[in-house]
Amino acid sequence: MSEFRSKVSIASTRNRALMDPSFGVVALLALVVIVMSIFQPSFKTSGNATNIINAMMTVSFLAIGMTVVLISGGIDLSVGSTMALTAGVAGKFISYGMNMYVAFIFALIVGALVGLVNGLLITKLAIPDFIATLAMLGIGQGIMLYWTQGVPILGYMSTPYYYIGGLRKILGPISIPMIVLVVVALVVSILLKKTNLGLYFYAVGSSSVSTRNAGVHVGRIKIWAYVISGLLAGIAGIHIAGRTTTIPPLIGNGYEISAIAAAVIGGASLLGGRGRVVGALIGALTLTLTRNIINIVGIASSWQAIVIGCVLIGAVLANRASEMFGKRISERTEKLNKRKVSA
Amino acid sequence: MKNVPGTEGVSADLNPNMSRRSLLRSTALVGAGIGAVQLLGSSPASALGGTINSALDKEIRAMVKGRTIKVGFTPPVLSENFTQIENAAWQKMYEFEKRFGVKWVWERQAPVGDFNAVQGTLGIVQSWISRKFDAIAVCTGANFATVQDLYKQANSKGLKVFQFNQPAELYPVGDLQTVSNIGYDNRWQSGYLAGKYLANTLGGKGQILQIWGPSGSDWTRGRKIGFDKALAENPGIKVVGQADGGYVRDKGFTAAQDLLTKNPSVNAIYGENEEMALGASQAIDAANLKHWDGKSGIVTIGADGLVSGFDAIAAGKLTATVDIGGIDQGQNLIETIFATVGLGQTVTQIINNPTQVVDKSNYAWHKAYAKWALSAPKKYGK
Repeated sequence: MSEFRSKVSIASTRNRALMDPSFGVVALLALVVIVMSIFQPSFKTSGNATNIINAMMTVSFLAIGMTVVLISGGIDLSVGSTMALTAGVAGKFISYGMNMYVAFIFALIVGALVGLVNGLLITKLAIPDFIATLAMLGIGQGIMLYWTQGVPILGYMSTPYYYIGGLRKILGPISIPMIVLVVVALVVSILLKKTNLGLYFYAVGSSSVSTRNAGVHVGRIKIWAYVISGLLAGIAGIHIAGRTTTIPPLIGNGYEISAIAAAVIGGASLLGGRGRVVGALIGALTLTLTRNIINIVGIASSWQAIVIGCVLIGAVLANRASEMFGKRISERTEKLNKRKVSA
Repeated sequence: MKNVPGTEGVSADLNPNMSRRSLLRSTALVGAGIGAVQLLGSSPASALGGTINSALDKEIRAMVKGRTIKVGFTPPVLSENFTQIENAAWQKMYEFEKRFGVKWVWERQAPVGDFNAVQGTLGIVQSWISRKFDAIAVCTGANFATVQDLYKQANSKGLKVFQFNQPAELYPVGDLQTVSNIGYDNRWQSGYLAGKYLANTLGGKGQILQIWGPSGSDWTRGRKIGFDKALAENPGIKVVGQADGGYVRDKGFTAAQDLLTKNPSVNAIYGENEEMALGASQAIDAANLKHWDGKSGIVTIGADGLVSGFDAIAAGKLTATVDIGGIDQGQNLIETIFATVGLGQTVTQIINNPTQVVDKSNYAWHKAYAKWALSAPKKYGK
């Protein structure tokens, strides 16, 4: 009987893994890494691994914030321009002579404020989240363009900022952004899994009506989701300003699409109610790894957009396939177990 | 063309659009050189203290009669490069305002978002047509045929269209619907110069990486033609990797990092624009590799000619850049507009400015020139 129970336990673990929304893409990534390691020796070097991790930082921060918003049933198209705006605040204020860390606080406040404005537009004025955040994307871009008049922000870098931007490492390959990402991922994971707020995000995303009927203030929950997204865009802005050492006004262009793609690849649902921080990181890794492979293999730039598009579709299909496969195996295993138990 | 700055190693048959007048212009560092306009104090000559003829100014002033010229200026994106061109234009506008009494209405609009978006440019130009502007200065990443149709519309309404910084050399002159194209030849005055500089610096032997702009860009196409010609002349130089850097520093940085991982012993990196070249420079630092110090290390070269690029050259973080003559473009743009709209003169379809590879040996005057351009005494359109 105990052998039977342990077999059931192993089967449950396997089925849970198969049904995990990110399992498919993880399996695909593992396969790609194995193939690339065999055919491109430079791929499997520690230097390349560090490059990939450093390159995925910015999208990771944005994808985690986007995942929170998607879980709550919304979408945030303003993350790219919010990132640019917060980078601009950090860079400009430092260049005006402000203490670097104080400038960072202002940048984070601006990010959170943008998130708050998004949340208020959506909940108080009932503007659809797509429109509200698209408008904020334009406003954020416009503010940066007006403020800089098109000229990139320079002259704010200092030795500590090189470390904060990840251009200098603190111990071996470990950089400050890596540590910040781990901390942020842990904090947001705990928030989602262990707090009432996290529970409410999922509830609102699954069914805002039922959640409202249960007495939860849905509007307040949604606002929190956007504030968190704005705050994480602020962290991304501080990071990217340190990484690029110059802040062109449109530095955030296109990052909102990458953030959405990373979140969805990682298993977040555009319909709400589903998503995880680790999924966002897997999604960010998938996008970054794809670009890394394109550069190392030397795929012509005219093909790059096609390759990236195919990878996106492939990743989502892989997740769906593993989920369906896992469900079928789970159902079959359950039937078998019931028969054995009754026997 | 050995003695002409910016054309070292370029033979006349490779540079068909550089007229003899342009060569003389580049040697003497004067501006548009379009008939009588040259006497009006061409841009660099004025900046360096040219002669102003008060009798001539008086006659021109009497002709102009205090006229207002309305100019629309639309770059593809707001950036340091186009800000430099615009400020240089303001310098010339202010000069002509003082000397000839012409008044300027200047409006700058740039499409936001995709560099290649045609809708933004179409909308902006159409708005100026309907508001009866006198001249439009356009630089756009939009499709060539589409914008030529738009210019045709503008011409039919009496509006003069000028392109600047545009790779017009890639298209038949007969297909151009503009009054004039002020710029430079991306093939021989940018790509070829960069390739030649790399080859000369490396003694004709070495491995290089290339970071290009987005696929389909005319600038990329033109510069690649020139760079490839320089490579063909130097078979000992091998391209061992290339990637798309999207014209931005972050992507240039990531692309260069990935390529350096595969090819850590390269001798040089070419970034099609300065931002990507500076990104490559950061990648060199991140990989703990050495920048070119005159004897060893990795050579990095870009193209634009910006103050930030010159600072990087001074700091040893960038070996060289091709100054594409943005300041001369801005100045010549205004001279050309004044010549045609103000004085009714005829100009050539293609006006190419001098360009030059800038490195530690000559960056100081280029930087001083750029800083002068950026200190325009009057900001128009504000």
